[in-house]
Amino acid sequence: MLHGMYSQLRAQISPVLWRHKRASAAILLAMGMIPLAVHADETNNASAQQACYVDGLSEQMQCGAISVPENYAEPDGKQIQIHYVVMPATKPSDRKEALLAIAGGPGQSAIENAQGFDRMLTKVRQTEDVILIDQRGTGQSNQLQCVGDAFDSALAVDESLFDTRAETQKCLDELDADVTQYGSLNALKDFEAVRAHLGYQKLHLYGVSYGTRMAQLYMRHYPDSLVTVTLDGVVPMQQSVLAIGNAIARAFELLIEDCSNNQLCHKQFPDLKADLDKVDAELTQAPQISLVPDPLTGEATKLTMTRSKFKGALRMALYSPATRSLIPHAIHQAANGNFQPITGLYAMSMDNAGIAMGMHASVVCGEDWQRLTPELREQTNQSYFGHEMLKTFAQSCEVWNMPAVDASFSEPIASDIPTLLLSGELDPATPPSWGEIAMEKLSNAKHFIAPYATHGVAYQSCGNDLIAQLIEQGAVTELDGECLTEDIRRNFYLNASTVEAIPSDDAAKSDEQTALNQ
Amino acid sequence: MSNKIIAMIRKELIDAARDKRSVMAGLYYAVGTPLLMCAMFFLLIGQLTSPEDLNIKIDNAKGAPDLVKFLSSRGIKHGEAEDTKEIKLIISDDYAANMAKGLSAEVILIADASNEKLQNSIRRLERSLQEYSGEMGSLRLIARGIDPRIMQPIKVNVKDEATPDSKAGMILGLATMTMIYAVFISGMNLAIDTSAGERERNSLALLLSHPVSTWEIVIAKITAVTIFAMVGLILTLLISKVAYSFVPWQELGFAVSVNTSFIVMMLLVGLPVALMAACLQLFVSFMAKSFKEAQSYITIVLILPMMLAMAASYNIAPEAIQWLPISGQMQALIEFIKGRELPLTQIAVSSAFTLAIAIGLAIGMQKSLKSEKIVFGL
Repeated sequence: MLHGMYSQLRAQISPVLWRHKRASAAILLAMGMIPLAVHADETNNASAQQACYVDGLSEQMQCGAISVPENYAEPDGKQIQIHYVVMPATKPSDRKEALLAIAGGPGQSAIENAQGFDRMLTKVRQTEDVILIDQRGTGQSNQLQCVGDAFDSALAVDESLFDTRAETQKCLDELDADVTQYGSLNALKDFEAVRAHLGYQKLHLYGVSYGTRMAQLYMRHYPDSLVTVTLDGVVPMQQSVLAIGNAIARAFELLIEDCSNNQLCHKQFPDLKADLDKVDAELTQAPQISLVPDPLTGEATKLTMTRSKFKGALRMALYSPATRSLIPHAIHQAANGNFQPITGLYAMSMDNAGIAMGMHASVVCGEDWQRLTPELREQTNQSYFGHEMLKTFAQSCEVWNMPAVDASFSEPIASDIPTLLLSGELDPATPPSWGEIAMEKLSNAKHFIAPYATHGVAYQSCGNDLIAQLIEQGAVTELDGECLTEDIRRNFYLNASTVEAIPSDDAAKSDEQTALNQ
Repeated sequence: MSNKIIAMIRKELIDAARDKRSVMAGLYYAVGTPLLMCAMFFLLIGQLTSPEDLNIKIDNAKGAPDLVKFLSSRGIKHGEAEDTKEIKLIISDDYAANMAKGLSAEVILIADASNEKLQNSIRRLERSLQEYSGEMGSLRLIARGIDPRIMQPIKVNVKDEATPDSKAGMILGLATMTMIYAVFISGMNLAIDTSAGERERNSLALLLSHPVSTWEIVIAKITAVTIFAMVGLILTLLISKVAYSFVPWQELGFAVSVNTSFIVMMLLVGLPVALMAACLQLFVSFMAKSFKEAQSYITIVLILPMMLAMAASYNIAPEAIQWLPISGQMQALIEFIKGRELPLTQIAVSSAFTLAIAIGLAIGMQKSLKSEKIVFGL
């Protein structure tokens, strides 16, 4: 559901605070890394492609991996495996083309999100193969994941006591990789190598969230390999993702506005803004400590409800329309001292949306942290999330020690490749204004704004049909964003159970009366 | 010797070409069937798949506006127009009240599940309702501080071993049946014409009076009919190859393509069948007293291979048919289409059977041409 760039608040606030559910997987992966450190056979740089299955899909796919140097400057040095999956077209066309779908994060595995891609790209898959590549540092491709073990429970921890620097250092020490090699530009070379390996002459690109950065770099460096590009939830090259703090604040304002414009929501939660400010202020004073049933195990467990957890849970809930609809109720309950809905929302985001935090740090520290201008830093510092993020990355990037990308990295993309840009008005990560920035030098592009979509427009609207049309026609001229304006807004939750108008007591009584009379 | 046979084959073919209409009648089948099949699949796919915008009747829609909106985002809407499907969704009066209390709110789905045209649409509606219910259930749990994953104690991960080829196997099985049948139909008219017809034109006795052996006559006739049968088969295959690529198979989730290896395979397997078909049809025609009688007999005799072919493509017969002519080859072909290993023994045995029957019939024909009863149709 969450294709989040920065899909996780805790991830930002404390880049090494991930444990538990990921732990077992991470240990296995760490073991899996050992053979990868051994030099691969230079003559055979691709393991055989074979039929395989991916999580959540019953259909047979083709899986494989290619070996690439971890550091392209040392082609004979350490090799890493880049894994890919090809989801075959149902009725393949003769063209040697395919769609490459690029996941967000940075740090999400494209292969682990195969089910979501498959559902969204159903129409595209009727005629085109779809390629998913685990970008270096994510998923099966030498994942840079850290296993924290400093705390026994994510619910109990008070994030403000967290030593980011020490935890980041520990994570770095545990990783068997040159983390400076895991930026977007190296990953781009891997992508192009996979394309060549699979023998596709040209690619259609679909990038979501951070994936749009990869797609734009592809447009810049290998324009001849591309037919069309779709950028969904656009991160323009000119923009540092750390400016996301303002986008989050904007999304909160939109939510409160939405609720007050919605008759049912406004009636049920007339003082939503006051409620939010009240809880925020209380938790800023001191976290609330209570004993709650663990969301998963049901065992009594200590919950330290901090401001960070509260705001982080709400922020993550903004990503998907479904969880977004629960936010007013969650805020209202919290204002009345009931943190159950917040705990539930928080539990949903505890697995970091599958983000490989090491790779995440490599990208953000190399490409976003260092290009922040003092003005932007000042501006970002004003929002809560911006402030927390800057504080955290100041510490973790110091440890990660990534060389800064060239200044030209931030230049706008100039291209005449047919490009479709999709933005969601309610997006808490990449607001529509970012899409406009990316349009600057795109001469053959259209930018549509879906008024009721959040992050990942193609998953929530007819955006996926537009992608299919773009691929079929190979041009943006006939694309029409009209269908995106269809009102797909759902009601807000009015209590813990319903989204429909709650019948008043009188009405309910008379209902019972009629029922009795019958 | 062989020159004589070649000369006679030429004679048979020229003879056949003279009566263009009856020759073409045989080939019409070869050309028409793949086209008809494609037209049928076009219609079938249109009827089986649920339309993009599914219009149904929704009663008491204002009782659950959010649900109605959700369904509409899935393309399922209330409609009054003519394309509205015979599916009715009734939202109960106490829907909102039960929902608010955290109970199950009732909706009633009324439809005729035996109506095949509706099945996909009904399933789609059910799936959408299930999805809505699941999403709300998850959010209800989240609102109570519980991780919704506990509601899924078992996660079933299906690994479907079907390949795109094997999914298309059923359709191609049907197509294969019509192709095998093309072998029988294409040569049929020539077979009757060159035997019963020749006798009726009184040219058979003339032919026999020439210094050629009955064997040579029989072989020439069989060869001519076989050539026609194979031409029919090749035509069917080529037209299928082109026509099938226009059918929107992807709507069914797989693709059917008549590729080169299938064509080669089909021709190899088809040759013995064509030989047998030629022998069978010639033999029956010789046995018949007149042209018309031959036509009726052959129509009846053709039911047999037809049934064998059907039994094979629908998998409805006992094990033994896998060794019989036609059904054995058909089954092997279907396995081949599905991308599995080609059952060589099966093909060898059934093809041997086929050839044996062909030779038997040829010997029978050769003998019968020595009898006056047959030659003069007495």
